[in-house]
Amino acid sequence: MSAEVLVFDILGAIAVLAAAGVVLARNPVHSALALVVSFVNVAAIYVILRAEFLAAAQIIVYTGAILVLVLFVIMLVDPDNLPEFHGGRPVQRLLALILGLALLGEVMAAILTRTIVGQPGPWSPQAVAAVGGNTQALGRVLYSGYVLPIQVTAVLLLAATIGALVLARPDTPRVRALVRDTATISLAHPRGSEMANGVEPALPALAAGQLKLEAGERTLVMAKSGDDFLDQPVWGERHQS
Amino acid sequence: MSELTATHFLTLSAALFIIGMLGVLIRRNVLVIFMCIELMFNAVNVSFIGFAWEQHSLVGQTFALFIIAVAAAEAVVGLGIIMALSRRLDTVDIDQVHELRE
Repeated sequence: MSAEVLVFDILGAIAVLAAAGVVLARNPVHSALALVVSFVNVAAIYVILRAEFLAAAQIIVYTGAILVLVLFVIMLVDPDNLPEFHGGRPVQRLLALILGLALLGEVMAAILTRTIVGQPGPWSPQAVAAVGGNTQALGRVLYSGYVLPIQVTAVLLLAATIGALVLARPDTPRVRALVRDTATISLAHPRGSEMANGVEPALPALAAGQLKLEAGERTLVMAKSGDDFLDQPVWGERHQS
Repeated sequence: MSELTATHFLTLSAALFIIGMLGVLIRRNVLVIFMCIELMFNAVNVSFIGFAWEQHSLVGQTFALFIIAVAAAEAVVGLGIIMALSRRLDTVDIDQVHELRE
């Protein structure tokens, strides 16, 4: 029995150290990698606690899906926008430390003085082994008493997917619709006629209200590409620089 | 050091949760704050699974499974918000984001 405790202590210590690394690392990528270490160690602890299915789910969902998503977002966010934000708030850090220590004291007091222990449930290790293992037992519990929560979870995941699509959409849909509605005419100058002195002829400046479409009306904008009158490059067109 | 008891994993859970909470309070990078929230979810899962192990019940494991599903949904929406934030305000510094306050 003592070996179990020893393994638990090692795994727990690594998980806690990695969690501290998440908070202390200066680079967000290092934080994400420390988080992977912490999650894998916690998954191993789930195996000790006879929750094999959840250990697999933890690795697949957390380290396989969420952490990859986090790393993709770190990659997509402009590196100039990722400065390190450690310093400059000594008061808040001190307050956070005091709050954390206070909470740790309270929780440890609650844990160490815990006396109420409920009646043991029906799923003893023998009962779990009798139905074929942790996954089968969990399935029996899940699909007998928790059918409605499962369906609600399915709806929640669908809503989250739709929400993510809405959030990830470019944030100027109206202007993009305008681009599709605008007739673009390419002004091709004969070579050498107007570029003779090396100066490209300037395009007419846009008035501020010119981009607003009246109902049923089409604007004619003189521009070489969509980028010439929009701040952001239009999807599907190469950005000309 | 004789036998694995509820105290062990409850202590681990408390430590993980408080480290995550400190991260949320101290750090200013939204991405790191997001990771610390995941850490806190994980700490709660350790608690649930530990109690399920102690009580010979599978309700705790069921709950942890739902927490994992909800955390996945939360991750998708949260990262979408972070993407929209970095595109719109050109920052992931939580102190720079105070549009709602003004």
